[in-house]
Amino acid sequence: MTTIYRDVYSFLELVKKTVMSLFLKPLRVKETFQQLYFVANGSLWIIVFCVCFAAVVTILESSFHMKLVIQNDSMVPGFASLLILRELGAVVTALLLTSRVGAGIAAEVGSMKVTEQIDALRMLGIDPIQFLLIPRLIATTLGCMILCVVANLICIFAAMIISDQVLGYTPSMFLTAMNRFVQFRDLIFSVVKAMFFGMTIPMISCFFGFRCKSGADGVGSATTQSVVFASISIIFLDFILSYTFSYFY
Amino acid sequence: MSEAILSNETKGLINKNVIIEAKNLSVAFEAHTVLKNVDLFVEKGETLVLIGPSGQGKTVLLKTLAGLIEPTAGTLSLYHKQWRGLPENEKIKILDKMGMLFQKNALFDSLSCGENIAFPLREKTQKSELEIQEIVDYFLESVGIIHAKNLYPEEISGGMQKRLGIARALALMPELIFYDDPTAGLDPITSKKIIELILELKKKNNATVIAITNDMNRAYQMADRIAMVYQQNLIITGNVEETKKHSNPAVHQFIKGELLGPLNSSFENL
Ligand SMILES: Nc1ncnc2c1ncn2[C@@H]1O[C@H](COP(=O)(O)OP(=O)(O)OP(=O)(O)O)[C@@H](O)[C@H]1O
Ligand SMILES: [Mg+2]
Repeated sequence: MTTIYRDVYSFLELVKKTVMSLFLKPLRVKETFQQLYFVANGSLWIIVFCVCFAAVVTILESSFHMKLVIQNDSMVPGFASLLILRELGAVVTALLLTSRVGAGIAAEVGSMKVTEQIDALRMLGIDPIQFLLIPRLIATTLGCMILCVVANLICIFAAMIISDQVLGYTPSMFLTAMNRFVQFRDLIFSVVKAMFFGMTIPMISCFFGFRCKSGADGVGSATTQSVVFASISIIFLDFILSYTFSYFY
Repeated sequence: MSEAILSNETKGLINKNVIIEAKNLSVAFEAHTVLKNVDLFVEKGETLVLIGPSGQGKTVLLKTLAGLIEPTAGTLSLYHKQWRGLPENEKIKILDKMGMLFQKNALFDSLSCGENIAFPLREKTQKSELEIQEIVDYFLESVGIIHAKNLYPEEISGGMQKRLGIARALALMPELIFYDDPTAGLDPITSKKIIELILELKKKNNATVIAITNDMNRAYQMADRIAMVYQQNLIITGNVEETKKHSNPAVHQFIKGELLGPLNSSFENL
């Protein structure tokens, strides 16, 4: 039990150092852009692919259930767009980034730790937080926000197509229904969620990377742990944020 | 052991040339104590060689002296400044004088060999690209791997990686250089050449060298002073002649490489 407290404490310590170096030290612009390119461009197609299928499943499932309960699925387009904007877009994006970007960061930083590259950086007077964490933090946060908007739009577009093809609601009917259910601030809240998720992923990955133990399974377990903890944190944060946003409706 | 420390301690007090001053240094990882109450003074310009059985804490001591590992007790002064609590910009000023070859080389695997040497120059100096390339070529040439300039670290052999690590450690012409096992994995001739290179570069800018090696011939080739890390202590055995005649049975056994002696019990624990 005491080790959990100590781990939480050292995580908070890392967050504190990160915030300080974010504001006090110059940003490494080149690294940040390289990372942003890796995060955003590299993950775009995976996210588009997954989100399209998520849209299809959402539409078909809710139509099935609504027909079962109220013998009518006219609410599906509006309901689905609400679900997509409030939950699906941000969460699916973040979970996919956790596995693609978060695991990559943990493995990269972890192997730098065990091969003493982090010590080599420190020996040059380079702060590993400023050099490795901050560019990844900014890139993943921005990337997650951008991808979240894209994911929401693509997902709604896919939902619209599938409603048209399968349920027979034309795009204009879909948009009218959506207009009634959804507000612009839903998209804003979704992006705010994405921002928090995007900050969580590299923080947790770097935390496990920096404390990676040497040995054959060191990097492996740092990667696994970072994905598990980041995923749990995202689901938990989603609950907290949804709960908080419910006060604004 | 106490004699050597005492004489150095008095030296330390009167000598302005002492650039590393460690007193009562202890290092532990959780419950596992690696070093306990180690005292060490290192003077500017000297070459100190650390020897000792595997796993006794040579690397830990070296990294602690370089300020990379926080000691659990005791004090460390580098260039007359207390390391603990030193503001970061002051730390960086001191770090700029130091270079290190790591046991696992610590090469940046995302950079080519040439870029590995260029990296510290780009980070720490305002040199032009032309000057940087000149320095890179000079060092790659000195360690004999100029042909591998555009290869990546994983594409070159272990010995070449070691030499690249040395070249990178030297790129900024540090005045205090730490070498963690510079000849590990090198053939005897290359080893000898590497030590000659280390000594030559040391002479060039009157650098201080602290090196770990378990190859006693190489230790004798470069050492002004030898110390052995053993059972959480640092036994300062003196210069080459003094070390060869040292009375401690563990030191004697280690430098002679004998199978029977007090060290066997510590090997059994490995
Ligand atoms: N980061 C760490 N966490 C926990 N224990 C460590 C750590 N680094 C070193 N140790 C322990 O400290 C002891 C000394 O290790 P060190 O690497 O200094 O040995 P060494 O004398 O350099 O050996 P070798 O000649 O094999 O390189 C070992 O028992 C090792 O397990
Ligand atoms: Mg070692």
